[in-house]
Amino acid sequence: MLKTEKKQAVLGYIFLIPSLVMFTVFMFYPMFYTLYLSFFKWNMIKPVKEFVGLANYVSVLSDPNTWKIFGNTLLYIVILLVFNFIVPYVLSFILSNIVKKGHGFYKSAFFLPSVISLVVGSMLYVWILNPISGPVAIIAKHFGITMPFWSKTQGWVIAVLCIITTWKSFGYNFIIILAGVSGVSQEVIEAARLDNIPMWKIFKDIVLPMSSATGIYVFITTIVQGMQYVFTPIKVITQGGPNYASSNMIYMSYHEAFTLYSTGTSSAVSVMTMALFIILLILEFKFVEKGVYYEN
Amino acid sequence: MKIKQKSDRQIGWHIFLIIIVYLMLIPIVFALSNSFKTTQDAYNTVFEIIPRNPTLENYIHVFQKLPFAKITLNTFLIAATVTIFKTLTSIFAAYSLVYFDYKGKAFLYFMMLSTMFIPFTVTMIPNYLLISQIGLRDNIWGVALPQLADVLGIFLLRQSMRGIPKSLIEVAKLDKIGHMKIMRDIILPLVRPSVISTGIIFFINSWNEYVWPVLILKTKENYTLSLALQMYISSEGGTDFTIAMAVSVMTMIIPLTLYIIFQRYIINTFAMSGIKG
Repeated sequence: MLKTEKKQAVLGYIFLIPSLVMFTVFMFYPMFYTLYLSFFKWNMIKPVKEFVGLANYVSVLSDPNTWKIFGNTLLYIVILLVFNFIVPYVLSFILSNIVKKGHGFYKSAFFLPSVISLVVGSMLYVWILNPISGPVAIIAKHFGITMPFWSKTQGWVIAVLCIITTWKSFGYNFIIILAGVSGVSQEVIEAARLDNIPMWKIFKDIVLPMSSATGIYVFITTIVQGMQYVFTPIKVITQGGPNYASSNMIYMSYHEAFTLYSTGTSSAVSVMTMALFIILLILEFKFVEKGVYYEN
Repeated sequence: MKIKQKSDRQIGWHIFLIIIVYLMLIPIVFALSNSFKTTQDAYNTVFEIIPRNPTLENYIHVFQKLPFAKITLNTFLIAATVTIFKTLTSIFAAYSLVYFDYKGKAFLYFMMLSTMFIPFTVTMIPNYLLISQIGLRDNIWGVALPQLADVLGIFLLRQSMRGIPKSLIEVAKLDKIGHMKIMRDIILPLVRPSVISTGIIFFINSWNEYVWPVLILKTKENYTLSLALQMYISSEGGTDFTIAMAVSVMTMIIPLTLYIIFQRYIINTFAMSGIKG
């Protein structure tokens, strides 16, 4: 018996090996290599990498543009959390507890843009929101509003790139949150309704805490994915401009590596981005371990 | 009276939700309709959904201007390869994680899951160097390779395999049925919907992939649809409006069709992914 169990374990490893090899080659090894590169000055071509210690980190952190980009990153995160986390949360509560019909239709329709590429999304919105000839500008003009040249205006540019990203990821987040919110016991909600407790209170005091495991998961993926998703509209529409006003940490890494050929600075920024994500990962585990209510 | 008021309120909510649906879907309708207009009509009648003088000019132009059949084929080959490979490895990995007991299993799964938190910029330079070293730069296989490391399928399939009663496997084991046979004849038929939707999600994601193609591919013959489309984007809009819309339509038509056919599967699989156990 023991022998067969051992054989079983070996088979278990064998089944896992193809995936593990891929992760090792394309994820884990590169991760350490990037950490290594962040201590060197290099341009991907020179035969010798020059060790510079923490100089790349120092130069990144002492560059005023970096702080502008950190600020942008934060602004992106805040806007995306509103559009892609708070709004779908409220909407899924409305759909699962107030609206009685058409659930299948709304789910399908909201999710549909999620299967379309962000390059297509960027393309469509560049035209729809074109400040001169786009349909939105024409409608706005009727009301006497002039569309700003958003791709050239600080602040506006981030808002519009967030809209494009939201179009793509809204439905995905919505579906996941809806599953969590629908998992909240209907009996509890019915009881609260019979007691004439207002809907917003039911949302805040019952549904939100009882779906919090899903909530935290989506909160964190919104940040982690959102930061990476906006890379595509930034790259194809603004290239980080005007004057770094739309760049974020992800785009900065890319720009340093493949436009300026400075692998050291790029890697330093990437490592900092990953540190941020790891903090989020730890937070998720902390919350989950603390015994947030777990549906199912 | 009370009932009437309630149904009025329901209608109010439906109107609200339909406005959101409209905002989500109108960009797609906008692209479709303008891709069949002449440039002249597109500027004069931008709000009309049905083109006055429908034309295929824009689509023909794209095929003349770019090696478009080749570009579509490239995108398809990458997506198909990535899908087949990842679906297979994910099935084996998920099966291993659910039905075997061995040392370090929890740790290995945790390591794989944590890759979701690795930003692509962290792996970008080393993978670019690796692909260059093995001579796959400007080659579609260089685009496909780094996409193979992806935990999403393992996660989704593990979720759905855990939903199958263990007793089923125990019985099969007592009958001395091998694991390959258990997987093929018992588990796979039961998790078929998840396998299908995982495959479709892989295919769509790879079809839409932009970061790797943009780093690896240089010549137009090797382009994928994302890159072909990108050439028509500039922040000012550029001049080829209707052609740009035609390329957009051709890029999104495959994912949209797949979604419309398999939407139930896809939505259910994603809905499940948030609920962990």
